[in-house]
Amino acid sequence: ALGCQTTHSNQEVLQSCSLVIFATKPHVLPAVLAEVAPVVTAEHILVSVAAGVSLSVLEEEGAMVMARGRHARSSETKLLQDLLEACGWCEEVPEAYMDVHTGLSGSGVAFVCVFSEALAEGAIKMGMPSGLAHRIAAQTLLGTAKMLLQEGQHPAQLRTDVCTPAGTTIHGLHALEQGGLRAATMSAVEAATCRAKELSRK
Amino acid sequence: ALGCQTTHSNQEVLQSCSLVIFATKPHVLPAVLAEVAPVVTAEHILVSVAAGVSLSVLEELLPPNAQVLRVSPNLPCVVQEGAMVMARGRHARSSETKLLQDLLEACGWCEEVPEAYMDVHTGLSGSGVAFVCVFSEALAEGAIKMGMPSGLAHRIAAQTLLGTAKMLLQEGQHPAQLRTDVCTPAGTTIHGLHALEQGGLRAATMSAVEAATCRAKELSRK
Repeated sequence: ALGCQTTHSNQEVLQSCSLVIFATKPHVLPAVLAEVAPVVTAEHILVSVAAGVSLSVLEEEGAMVMARGRHARSSETKLLQDLLEACGWCEEVPEAYMDVHTGLSGSGVAFVCVFSEALAEGAIKMGMPSGLAHRIAAQTLLGTAKMLLQEGQHPAQLRTDVCTPAGTTIHGLHALEQGGLRAATMSAVEAATCRAKELSRK
Repeated sequence: ALGCQTTHSNQEVLQSCSLVIFATKPHVLPAVLAEVAPVVTAEHILVSVAAGVSLSVLEELLPPNAQVLRVSPNLPCVVQEGAMVMARGRHARSSETKLLQDLLEACGWCEEVPEAYMDVHTGLSGSGVAFVCVFSEALAEGAIKMGMPSGLAHRIAAQTLLGTAKMLLQEGQHPAQLRTDVCTPAGTTIHGLHALEQGGLRAATMSAVEAATCRAKELSRK
């Protein structure tokens, strides 16, 4: 129905395709690679996503990074980037950044969910019905993120732009700082990144 | 260049237009309304975006059958992703209210609500823009601490916000459900979430919305 061919032979995939994405669980991957190694050529572009693809990629607004191996050529790397950009934003980085990306953007999806829920619950406490509060919270996240990406502004600049003296925003910001939101968030990214590095070593 | 006409006469605007948006600072508004009141008819649709000025105050300044509506926008309207709510006055008719909503939807999401929710909207969505900025900055700084360069970290943080928000809106999932969906047992995410909870992110965020809303209510009373 989707126009895709399937096969039970991993080697056949390598023999019919030049760019191959390996999307198995991490622990399965070594055996699969050993199986196809005999039919791999220097022309193949072999891509592993074994560390886990962020769910947001499926919704065409992913944040992806990729790193190239020693023999991956620039034109093939560019081809992969072009393909991945169908699912969102994608940039090549040194491999050393990939665990941080997991902590920030892979796990970050869950951190954003907690933040969105908390924004909504603050509003529910103040009298807004739940469904409306959740929708407005998510829309506020979306709109602010779009401004940060489109204008390329530093978030501290945008934050300053919306603060009227003695207004509602600066009162709210004070509470945010008193509650230590920044430290909690940095700790979350740190903890997730450290766990990613641990898992890489296993 | 934009094809707009301008004038120095507020009354002339009312005489040429059926739907008029009053976008002055709150303290200027009463004088402007007093000035145009003589030429207001029951057919006009009068829209205020002034924070903290209630429908009853607006109606008092205008003729008895004037159709009045209030809108609370937020800054991302400038990128067509605003979160707006509007409330109708006693004489605003349904078709006129719908017309306004259709117009505002050019800038983002807009829904009619009871006037009582407008201060909460200010706290959540008006001021919320700044709260999201702090959160985005903190996400990026966590990554910078772990070795990622600043520019890349800020871009990925903002893109992660955008993508997650889009999932929440499109799928209509409860954020707790999406959060659960991304938690592999003993994985990176659950380790991060524990730190988030230990740091009290939820309470800090709720307090921010509460404080901003309370300030909005205070300002409305002045």
